Amino acid sequence: MPDTLQTPAGHVRLGSNSGQPMTRRDGIAKVTGTATYAADNRPDRLAHAVFASAGIARGRVVSLNVEAAKSHPEVIEVITPDNRPALHLDPDGKSHPFSWRIEALQDNTVRYAGQPIALVVAETLEAATEGARLLAPEYDTDPARIGFENGEAYDPPAVGIGGNPSFSKGDFDTGFSNSEHRIGASVDTPAQYHNAMEPHAIVAEWSGDHLTIDTPNQAIHLARGAFAGYFGIPPENVTLRSPFIGGGFGSKAILVGPQILAIMAARMVDRPVKLVLRRDQMFGPVQHRGATRQKLRIGTDGNGLIKALEHEATASTSSFDDFIEGAGNASLNMYASPAIVARHSAVRVDTGTPGPMRAPGEASGSAALEIAIDKAAEAVGMDPLEFRLRNYAETDPASGKPFSAKSLRECYELAAQKFGWSDRPLAPGQMRDENGMLVGWGMGSALFPAPMFAAQARATLRRDGTALVETSGADMGQGAWTALAQIAADGVGLPVDRIEFMSGTTDQPDAGVAGGSGHTASAGGALFEAGSNAVQKLADLATADPESPLFGAGNTGVEAREGRLFRADDESRSESYADILERAGLERIDAMGSGGRDPANTEARAMFSHGAVFAEVKIDPDLFQIRVSRLIGAFAAGRIINPHLAKSQLTGGMIWGIGFALHEEGIHDLRSGRPLNADLAGYHVPVNADAPHVEALLVDEDDPYVNALGIKGVGEIGITGSVGAIANAVWHATGKRISSYPIHIDALLS
Amino acid sequence: MGAYLQPDTLDEALGILAREPVTIAAGCTDLFAATESQSLNGTVLDVTRIEGLRRIAKDATGWRIGAASTWSDVIAADLPPAFDMLKQAAREVGSVQIQNAGTVAGNICNASPAADGVPPLLSLDAHVEIGAKGGPREVPLAEFLTAPRATVLMPGEMVTAIRIPDVSDKGESRFSKLGARKYLVISIVMVAARLHVQDGFVRDIALSVGACGPVATRLAALEEALRGTPLAGLPDRLQPDLIASALTPITDMRASDEYRREAAVHLLRRVLDDLTLMRSPV
Repeated sequence: MPDTLQTPAGHVRLGSNSGQPMTRRDGIAKVTGTATYAADNRPDRLAHAVFASAGIARGRVVSLNVEAAKSHPEVIEVITPDNRPALHLDPDGKSHPFSWRIEALQDNTVRYAGQPIALVVAETLEAATEGARLLAPEYDTDPARIGFENGEAYDPPAVGIGGNPSFSKGDFDTGFSNSEHRIGASVDTPAQYHNAMEPHAIVAEWSGDHLTIDTPNQAIHLARGAFAGYFGIPPENVTLRSPFIGGGFGSKAILVGPQILAIMAARMVDRPVKLVLRRDQMFGPVQHRGATRQKLRIGTDGNGLIKALEHEATASTSSFDDFIEGAGNASLNMYASPAIVARHSAVRVDTGTPGPMRAPGEASGSAALEIAIDKAAEAVGMDPLEFRLRNYAETDPASGKPFSAKSLRECYELAAQKFGWSDRPLAPGQMRDENGMLVGWGMGSALFPAPMFAAQARATLRRDGTALVETSGADMGQGAWTALAQIAADGVGLPVDRIEFMSGTTDQPDAGVAGGSGHTASAGGALFEAGSNAVQKLADLATADPESPLFGAGNTGVEAREGRLFRADDESRSESYADILERAGLERIDAMGSGGRDPANTEARAMFSHGAVFAEVKIDPDLFQIRVSRLIGAFAAGRIINPHLAKSQLTGGMIWGIGFALHEEGIHDLRSGRPLNADLAGYHVPVNADAPHVEALLVDEDDPYVNALGIKGVGEIGITGSVGAIANAVWHATGKRISSYPIHIDALLS
Repeated sequence: MGAYLQPDTLDEALGILAREPVTIAAGCTDLFAATESQSLNGTVLDVTRIEGLRRIAKDATGWRIGAASTWSDVIAADLPPAFDMLKQAAREVGSVQIQNAGTVAGNICNASPAADGVPPLLSLDAHVEIGAKGGPREVPLAEFLTAPRATVLMPGEMVTAIRIPDVSDKGESRFSKLGARKYLVISIVMVAARLHVQDGFVRDIALSVGACGPVATRLAALEEALRGTPLAGLPDRLQPDLIASALTPITDMRASDEYRREAAVHLLRRVLDDLTLMRSPV
C-alpha cells in the first residue's frame, strides 16, 4: 500500500500515524470515569423527566390522573396532549430522509406498547418516576396486530433509506427451470431491539431562544437542524454536545420522540431537564431491527454454477411509518448469476417503527442468503467454500461494474487456512469432540457497501509547532477519537501527540453521519484534506520566501513530516512549521477540507468491503444446546487506519452475529402487543462465555478508487457472513437446516 | 416509605411481625426488581441483623441454614458431599453479585418455578423452619411451596431457617442447569440428584426437577423404583415415563413443554452417570 498519496496538495505522507495499532486515546478517561456521557451532565437547577409508557399497543388514552401526579411532592409539571405546547414541525411529518415520525404527545392515540403518553417533570428522578406511575392511564383498546399473519400487508415504495424495493436482471424463470439443481430456502428473522450499554439520554437547557443539548448522537449537525426545526429556531441556535456515545448502532443517528419531549419540558418549566430512558423503554420509541420473512430460490447447473437467484423478503414496520429491512438486496452484489431477482413486501404491525440497526438489511439478508447458498452447494454435492469460489463475482453482479477493489478470494483463503477448513467432511453429522459433542463447521461470505457522506473539517497550524484539527465526529465506542486523530495528524504532517483534536459537538465543522460504516472514510477524508490544505498554504509561504531554505522549491517539491517541510529533491533543505509562521509574522494558518469521492469513480465502480467467516459449533447430542466454539473471519476493507480498533470492530460485529444466530429476539405478546422480554434478563445477548474464540484477520487491500485515502468501513460487515456461518455449522453438526433465527434449542428436537 | 426496622433479635422481629403487616427484606435481589413504585410501601423488616440468622451449622438433628445466609455463604461453607448440588446451584444463581446478596431463604420464599435453589433443597429433604410469635413450626419444603410465587407462609410468620435432617446429608450429589446461554440465565430445566450408595447398591436416592411445572418436584415413584437396585447400570434404569408423569412443563419463550420433558430425562441420566462413575471402582 502506498504511504504517500497523490492528493491535490501532493506532498503529504500517510503512514506515520495511520496504520499504527494505537490504543484508544480516550481509554483512560473512560476507565477512570472522567469521560462524560450525556446523563452525566448535571447543570444547576436540573429537573428530571420521566415519560409514562403506553400499556397497550393500539387504541386511545381516555384518561390520565394528572391531578394525582401533579399533587405528588416535588412534581413540577405534567405534560399531556392537553397542555403540550405546539411544535414548529409536525411530529407526524417527514422533513428529510433521516426523519422518522415520532411521538411527541401530539394526540391521545396509542400506536405501540411503550409509546410515551405523558411526561412528568420533577425535582428528583424518583418523584418523576412516581408521578408517571400515578397517572394510571385508562384506554380504549383496539386489538393489537402483531406478527406477519396479523398485520396489514402492502408494497413498500422503498427499502432502508431510499433503497430500491425490487431488482431484476436476466430471466429468472427460465434460468431456474432449466437448472439441474434447484433449491429453496425459507428463513425468518425476529425483531431485534437496540440495547446499547448507554440508553438514550438527554439534558436540555434553554437560554432565551438558544438551546443547549447533551445527547448521544451519530450525526450531530444533521440532528442540530432537526432539533431546531421542531422548535422553530435557527440551527445555529442549537449547541449539541455528544463527545462520548455508549454505543449507537444506528439508533442514535435518528432523532426520537423522548428527546423532543425533554426539550419541550425544559422550555415549559424554564429549567434544564434530564431524561434518561429506562432499559424497558428501549423496546419501543428508539427503533429496532424489523422482523423479516425471507424466501430464496437458487438454480445451478451440473458444475455448480448459479444460473438463477431469487431473494424475496417481507419485513415488518409500524402502522404509521416505513422502514423496511432491505434484506433481499443482500443477494445483489455477492454471487455471480446471469439472473437475479430481489423483491420486498412489507407488513404493518403495532410496534414502534423499525430503523437502522447495525447492517440494516445486510445482516438479515446475509443470514438467509448464506443458508440458501449452503443448500445449493449441498444439492450440487460440493464443498461450500469451493461452491462460493465457483460463483465468485469478478464484477458486481447487479450492475456489471468492476469493483473498486475486491479481495474476497484472499479472505476465503486466509480464514479457511487459519480455521483448518480443508479437513472438513462434506456430509453433516460426521464430527464429534472428546466430550461426545456434535461438531459442525460452516461458513458465510461477508459484504458491506462503502458509502461516503458529506463531511467537513478544519485544520489550524499553530506557531508553537502544534495543530488544532476539528470535525464534529462521533465516537460511539468504535474509536473515532483515535482513528480520526491519526488521519488528522498525517494530514498536517505531525505526530498525533502534537495535534489537538476537537470533536463531538456542533462547535466543529460538520463531520456527517457516523453510520453506514462510512465515518472514518468521510470525516477522515475531510480531516486529511483540511490538513494537507493547511500544509499547502504553509508551503506556499515558504517557497515564495527568499529567506527560506525551501525558496523556489515549488509546491510539488515539498514533503511534510514531523512538523517540518522538506524539499523533495534535497532532504538537507528543510524548515519547521514554527519557523515559517514566525518569519511570516503569523500566529496560525488554517484551512478547510471536505474529502469526498471522485464522482467519476462513483459512477464507474462498485464499492464494497468483503470478508469470509468460518464457524465451529458444538452441539449437545441430547439437549441440543449450541455453543459457538470458534468464529474466525478475514476481512478486506481497504486501508486500515488502526488495526487494533478495526479488529475490535470486526470481532464486535462477529459476536453480534452470535447474538443474531442464537440469542436476540424481541417477543411481543400476540394479544396485548406488549414486549414480553423488555429487559436484559429476558432479551439475551451473548455473554463472554458464549464467545470463547472470536478472531478477525485483516487482509491488505489497496483500493485506489473508493476515496483518496483508500478507506472502506469495518463497523457493520462483521455481522454479515457470521450469522449464516453459524447456521450452516449447525446444519453440518446435525443435518438440520435452520428456518428461523434465533436458533432455538427445541427447534433441533424431532 | 414507612418505617425501616432492623431488629437484633428474633424475638424482636417476631414481635414486629405479630404487630403489623410488614415486607420482609434480606438480600433484596428480588424485592428491588419486583417493586414498581418509587419506594416500598409500608413497614420494611430487615432480617439481616438478627443474631444467629446468618449461620450455616450442624446440630444434633441435622444442618441448619439460617434465613439470612447468602448463596456465597453456602459456597464457602464446609459441607458434606451431599450438599455439592446445592453449592453447584449457588454458583448458578444470577451473577456473583447476586450470590453475595441473595439469600437461600429468599429464593424459596420468592417461590419462582425456576428457583435454582429449590431442586437441590428438595433432594436434601429440606424442611422450612417458620417462626411466629405463637411459636415455631416446621414444614417440608415440598409442602411449603404451593404454586408459582405462593407459599404456606401466613401473616405474622417468617422463615427462620432451612433444615436438612441428619439422615439426608448422606451420599454424593450433582446439580445441572440448562439455559440458553452460559451465564446470567433463567433455567429451562434443572435437576438435582443425591445418591447414597452402600455395598454397591442404592441405599437412598433423591431426584428433583425444576422449571418443569408450577413448583419443582421430587420424582418419588422413580426413586422408589431405583432404591435397593445395584449401582451398576443405574442410569440405564431411569424410566422416562416415571419422570414424564411427575412433570407438568409449559411452553414459554424459553422452550417448549416437549423439549423440557426430554431434556429433563437427559439431564437426570447425565448427573446419574456422573455419580455412578464416581462410585465405581477404578
